[in-house]
Amino acid sequence: MVNRFKRKRLGFAAAGWLVTFAMMTPFLWMVLGSFKSTVDFLAFPPVFVFRPTLGNYRQVLADNAFVQYTLNSTIVAAGATCIGLVLGIPAAYALARYRRTAIGVVLLLARMAPGIAFLIPLFVMFLELHLVGSYTSLIASHLIFTLPLTVWMMVGFIEAVPVEVEKAALIDGCSLAGVLVRIIVPLTTQGIAATAILAFIASWNNFLFALVLANDRTKTLPVAVLGYIGYNSIQWGALMAAATLITLPVLVLALCVQRYIVRGLVAGAVSG
Amino acid sequence: MAELTIALPVKRARRRDWTPELLSLPALIAILAVMGFPLVYLGWMSLQRWALVGFEPPRFVGAGNFLQLAQDERFIDAIGRTFWFTALGLVTNLPLGLAIALLMHERFPGRNICRGLLILPMVATPAAMGLVWVIMLDPTLGVVRYLLGEFGIANPPLWLSDPDLVVPTLVAVDAWMWTPMVALICIAGLAALPTEPFEAAIVDGASALQRFRYLTLPMMLPTLMVAAMLRLMDLLKLIDIVYVMTGGGPGHSSETVNLYNYLAALSYDKVGYGAAIALVLFLIVVACTLALVKMRRPSW
Repeated sequence: MVNRFKRKRLGFAAAGWLVTFAMMTPFLWMVLGSFKSTVDFLAFPPVFVFRPTLGNYRQVLADNAFVQYTLNSTIVAAGATCIGLVLGIPAAYALARYRRTAIGVVLLLARMAPGIAFLIPLFVMFLELHLVGSYTSLIASHLIFTLPLTVWMMVGFIEAVPVEVEKAALIDGCSLAGVLVRIIVPLTTQGIAATAILAFIASWNNFLFALVLANDRTKTLPVAVLGYIGYNSIQWGALMAAATLITLPVLVLALCVQRYIVRGLVAGAVSG
Repeated sequence: MAELTIALPVKRARRRDWTPELLSLPALIAILAVMGFPLVYLGWMSLQRWALVGFEPPRFVGAGNFLQLAQDERFIDAIGRTFWFTALGLVTNLPLGLAIALLMHERFPGRNICRGLLILPMVATPAAMGLVWVIMLDPTLGVVRYLLGEFGIANPPLWLSDPDLVVPTLVAVDAWMWTPMVALICIAGLAALPTEPFEAAIVDGASALQRFRYLTLPMMLPTLMVAAMLRLMDLLKLIDIVYVMTGGGPGHSSETVNLYNYLAALSYDKVGYGAAIALVLFLIVVACTLALVKMRRPSW
C-alpha cells in the first residue's frame, strides 16, 4: 500500500517536472542561443554543447541604441508605475472603505476595450499637441493599464487593513490624508511593492502603444527587438541576446511577486 | 437650546461626505483624459473620412465607414479568422490548463517550484518571446524541426509560412504563454473545493474518472468560466505575437481584426475608417463577453 502511494507520487513528480521542463524550453533555448556563435547557430542538427561566446552580448551592448532603448523602457515603465500609484492609491482607499462601485465598471470596460480603440484617438490628440514620440505620450498612454491595475490590486490590500486602526487615528484627530499617509501606506508597503512590480512589468512588456507613439529615439525594448529581424537577414545570436536581456529582469521581478501574478492579470494589461 | 443640540447632529448627518469623491478625483480625471475622452473622440472619428499624413481634413460621412466595412472582404475575413483564433485558443487552453492544474494539485516533491515556474511564460515580454519562437520554428534550422525529426517526423510543415497552418501555429505559441494562467486560476479553484464530497465518493467506491466527471468538473465550472472569460477577451484582441511573428502573413492568412485595424488606421492612414473598425472590435469583445457571462447562468 505504502509502496503504491510512493510510486504514484513518483509518477506525479515525473509528469509535473516534465510539463514544467517542456514549458521552460523556449527560455532555455533563448539563453543557450544567446551564447552561440553564428557558426554554431547555423548548424543543423542544432548543437547543444558548444564553445560559448559573449560576442552576441558584446554586440548588443556596444550598440548605443540598445542602451538608449533600455533607458527609454525604464523611464516609461517607472513613470507610468509611479503616476499610477500616486493616483491609484487614494482612489483604491476610497473604493475599499466607501464602496463606490462606479470604478468597477470602468475597470471592466478597460479590460474589454482593445488598446487600439484608445490608441487611434490618442495618436491624433498627441499629434495635435506635438507630443508624438515624447515620453509624456508614452507614459500617459500606459496609464490606461497601470492605473486600473493599481486600483484593482490596492483595493484588495487596503481591505485587509483592519478599520479599527483608522478609526482610532481619526478619533485622535488625524486627518483623512494623514490616515492615508501614516496608516494605510505603511501597512500596505508589501502590497504596494507587488503592485508596483506588476505595473512595471505590464508597461515594460507593452508593444502596441510604443509601436504607435514612440519615435526612433524614444522606442522601447519590445519594439526595438524587431530591429534584429530584417526581411532577408536575421541576426540570430544578437536577437537571442537582446531577447534574454529584455525578458530576464521581468522574469526575476515576476518570481518575487508570484503570489499576486494572477490577480494582476485579471485586471490585466490591455495587451492589444 | 434643547432644539439646537438635537438639530446639530441631524444636520451633520445629512451633509454629504465628499471625501471618497475627492480621493478618487485625481484618478478619475486621469481615466477621463486617457480613456473616457479618447473613446468619445473615437466615436466622432468613426463618422469621418480622414487622412493624417495625406493632409485630408476630416469630412463627415455619417455611417459611410460602417457601410464600407460591411463590404470590406479583408475585414470580414479578419473577423472570421479572429473567431477561429479564439475558438482554437479556448478549446486548447481550457482543457490543457485544467489538466496541468489537476497535476499540480497533487502532492509531489518540487511541486511548489513547478508552480512558481508556471508564471514565467505569461510575464515574459511577448514581442521578444514571439521572435524566439520564430527562430525555434524555423523550417530549416529550427530546433522544433530537429525534435520532430528525432521522433521520426522527417518532413515537418513550414509552420508560419504555411497559410493553412499559420493560425494553429500562432495559437500554439499563444497557448504556451497563456495556458499557465488558466492552470494557475484552476489551481486556486481546486484548492478552494470542499474535501467532504470527495471523501464520501471514495468511501462509496467512485473511480477517479467518476470523481472527476461528477464532482471536480461541475464544481470547477465557475472557475473555468472566469478563465474562459479572460482568455476570450484577450484572444479576440490578439495582435502582439501576430504582428511580430508573421505580420499577418503569408498573404493575409493570419491577419486578426486588431492587426487589420492597426494597419488600416496607422499604416494606410485611414484614421476614420480605423476608428470604425476599433468600435466594431470593441462591441464584438463586449458582446462575446456578455454572451459568455449569460451562459454561466444555468438555463433551468
